[in-house]
Amino acid sequence: MTLTFKPKAPIWCAGCGHFGVHTALTHALKAAHVPAHEALIIAGIGCSGSIQNNLNAYGYHALHGRVLPTATGAALANPNLLVIGAGGDGDGYAIGGGHLLHSFKRNPSLVYIVMNNGVYGLTKGQNSPTAGAALTNGEAPLDAVQLGLSVSGSTFIARGFVGWWDQLATLIGEGIQHARAHCGFAFIEAISPCVTYNDTYPEWDGKLADISRDEAYDPTDRVQAMSRVMRLSEQGKLAVGKILHTTGSTLDQRHNVSAQRAPALQDVLPANNVSTYEAIARDHLV
Amino acid sequence: MNDGMMMASQPQIMESLCVAVAGQGGDGSLTLVTLIARALADYGYHIYESRNVASRIKGGHAAAFLRAGVDPVPAQGHDLDLLIAFDVEAIEILGPRVVENGVIIFDSSSEPCPMGGLKTGVEIIDVPFGRYAVRELRRDLYKNSLGYAVTCAILGLKGDLVQAKMREVYGRLPANVIAANLAAMETGFQIAGDFGYRGGRSRWQPRTLSPTPKHHMTGNEALAFGFLAAGGRFFAGYPITPATDIMEWLEKYLPDLGGVVIQAEDELASINMALGAAMTGTRTMTASSGPGIALMTEGISQAGSAELPVVIVNCQRAGPSTGMPTKPEQSDIGLMTQGANGDFPHVVLCPATPGECFEAGRLATDIAEIAQIPVFVALDQVVAQDRASFTLPHMGSLTINRGKRLAGPKGPGGPEYRRYQLTDDGISPWTIPGTPEGMSLVTGNERNEWGHVDTGPENRRRMMDKRARKLETISAMLPIAVNWGDASSDIGIIGVGMERGVMRDLTSLLARQNKSAAFHSPRTLWPVLPETLEFIAGKSRVFVIEHNREGQLFRLLGGALASRSHMTNITRYDGRAFSPEDLVRRLHEEGADL
Repeated sequence: MTLTFKPKAPIWCAGCGHFGVHTALTHALKAAHVPAHEALIIAGIGCSGSIQNNLNAYGYHALHGRVLPTATGAALANPNLLVIGAGGDGDGYAIGGGHLLHSFKRNPSLVYIVMNNGVYGLTKGQNSPTAGAALTNGEAPLDAVQLGLSVSGSTFIARGFVGWWDQLATLIGEGIQHARAHCGFAFIEAISPCVTYNDTYPEWDGKLADISRDEAYDPTDRVQAMSRVMRLSEQGKLAVGKILHTTGSTLDQRHNVSAQRAPALQDVLPANNVSTYEAIARDHLV
Repeated sequence: MNDGMMMASQPQIMESLCVAVAGQGGDGSLTLVTLIARALADYGYHIYESRNVASRIKGGHAAAFLRAGVDPVPAQGHDLDLLIAFDVEAIEILGPRVVENGVIIFDSSSEPCPMGGLKTGVEIIDVPFGRYAVRELRRDLYKNSLGYAVTCAILGLKGDLVQAKMREVYGRLPANVIAANLAAMETGFQIAGDFGYRGGRSRWQPRTLSPTPKHHMTGNEALAFGFLAAGGRFFAGYPITPATDIMEWLEKYLPDLGGVVIQAEDELASINMALGAAMTGTRTMTASSGPGIALMTEGISQAGSAELPVVIVNCQRAGPSTGMPTKPEQSDIGLMTQGANGDFPHVVLCPATPGECFEAGRLATDIAEIAQIPVFVALDQVVAQDRASFTLPHMGSLTINRGKRLAGPKGPGGPEYRRYQLTDDGISPWTIPGTPEGMSLVTGNERNEWGHVDTGPENRRRMMDKRARKLETISAMLPIAVNWGDASSDIGIIGVGMERGVMRDLTSLLARQNKSAAFHSPRTLWPVLPETLEFIAGKSRVFVIEHNREGQLFRLLGGALASRSHMTNITRYDGRAFSPEDLVRRLHEEGADL
């Protein structure tokens, strides 16, 4: 047995919501029987961007806002890996917002967990894109779930709350299944309060509406999902649960990439590719 | 018709030939030049093609150039033997470059050829191409086929060969379109006959050289091929002139090899997609031009810190900012050598010919993986997009070196595995995700050997020094400069990329005047190699030729020296290449005794 790095204890403040995400993710990985060496956690910058240091998996600390392109590159190059992107709402919705939009559109087979706390904690308390209007002089917060629903290529959208960690673990587990089955992009937003700079625990109890309790709710119906989410938003509430779960064209399919055929799996020894290379050279003869 | 009144009695044996075809963008100038180039290549000529286009889809002055020679052609050159002009603007811009007794074929559909500014003895062949094409063939576009036939008649090229090349180049078009173009060619031969070019009478007579198979590629294409042949299987990019050709070329070939070419939403995404793919052990590249490279610099710094292999191609164009997208410059030298945040080991290669681009693409991919660093390949628009004939290496002779990549099925083995293990050569053994027992944390943060964040001063020094050692380790792999001319000359001339070809032509020009200089053209821009400093130190005067205003190469080389008092910088930043005559004038202005 080769000794490798030992996962560290989290650096988060006592009571930080991210502990709940950590627990839910650990639980979901275990329940899905993902071998540790087949999981690649790609984390962003900020408090949430240290979660990879605390897990028994391959870890990569990406640049601020670039979790999704990095994860897309890794997942496309080797679809045998379970690629899990993780970061905060500033990382994912502000500096990395453009990539989120295009990830919904591209539908790469990977999991993306956003720890949403409405604040930049590590830089000590600036407003983030999801900060409530009370903090921003009336500027409406961004709702990434609505954004995702509006992009017709999206296939899996869920929101959980760290206070309801068992539901969060289930949602992450379903997202893992979605990505591992190469069904596309599993987006999970975890409401994860920052106890130091934006302690919203007291607020959320009244504001979160768990749609999974409604047996008539159909997550394959995008129109119904959008209508429900927007209606709740008008009432000052946020929808929680599995909001969208459907099928669509995936990035890996479009690039003809599979567990058997992918860039990382190719035999690239020139000696074993001579005839192909010679044919390419012939194309350029005059 | 003037029936050959101005024709020289004997055709001139074709040792070299410079042709330009010019008109409005979308006129098809590029196709016509390609046709002539193919025909001349068949005789065994070396060919070199370039273009000057506006940054728009159609319209605007556009010109395509061809230089053919018995020997390899180093650059486009300035003088023209033959100009095919589809409008007055083409004559105004290029007419003065036609040599004495040269030929201009002019599309006189709207007006006759203006004569002002032309040299003596230039023969004008006025042909209302557009009118012929529309009247006889009902398609304005067929004027290229007309022009092709007229040109070939003047050049003395064999009719069957001329037709075969047309079929070859138009091979994928529908049969009726090919037939119409062949009909247009017949009309073209008749027109040439009206001007006296019939019955074997021509202005030039091609030599029949021993035609060895030659490859004909742009620097962009050759570089992309080098990357692919080195096992490159992932490319992420975002369209930008003049780098887009690389993505388009790879899209044609990589998917069949199980590779992926992905068009990202921006360059921030391209470089980070490349890093994500690099994490999986896939050999990876991205390409852009100045503005896109500026966006990528944070990612390049990340590759340097996290120790990820990635190749970044910069097809430099005229800046700053959006600048002049279709014009060449070498003004990102500072950006590539010193541009990213923090200091980290990296390499900048600077090939100058398609053959060197292939090798640079191959070598950059190897060096990146061996040293686990970002490697730039610096092109400029001329090197990137000019097309020249050369011979690719034998594909069976290629090898790759995967460095310290641990690919065992079970894992790295041994009692422990540390991703950032301190080693004498600075390079740590590398396992990729999916390897059992090879678990690692990869990060752009300063960290200890295990990958855990560590900002302690002692660890910081050790890690910075470890990374820095990697450059020494791979120094023997870095391509050395090309030197030529009179090594004993007191005068040294230095230039990279697009300057190489014109420096070659300058050598010939000086030789005709019984003069010489020592020429030095580096192929590694960063790190500056000792050979270049030795070259500079060994001369009493050194001229650094480059395309930018601030003298970025001059500063780079000067900064590496104790003294630069005997160095003079010759710069250009108008988006146009130097001609050898320009260089002579500029050298004289700076007091060169040449």
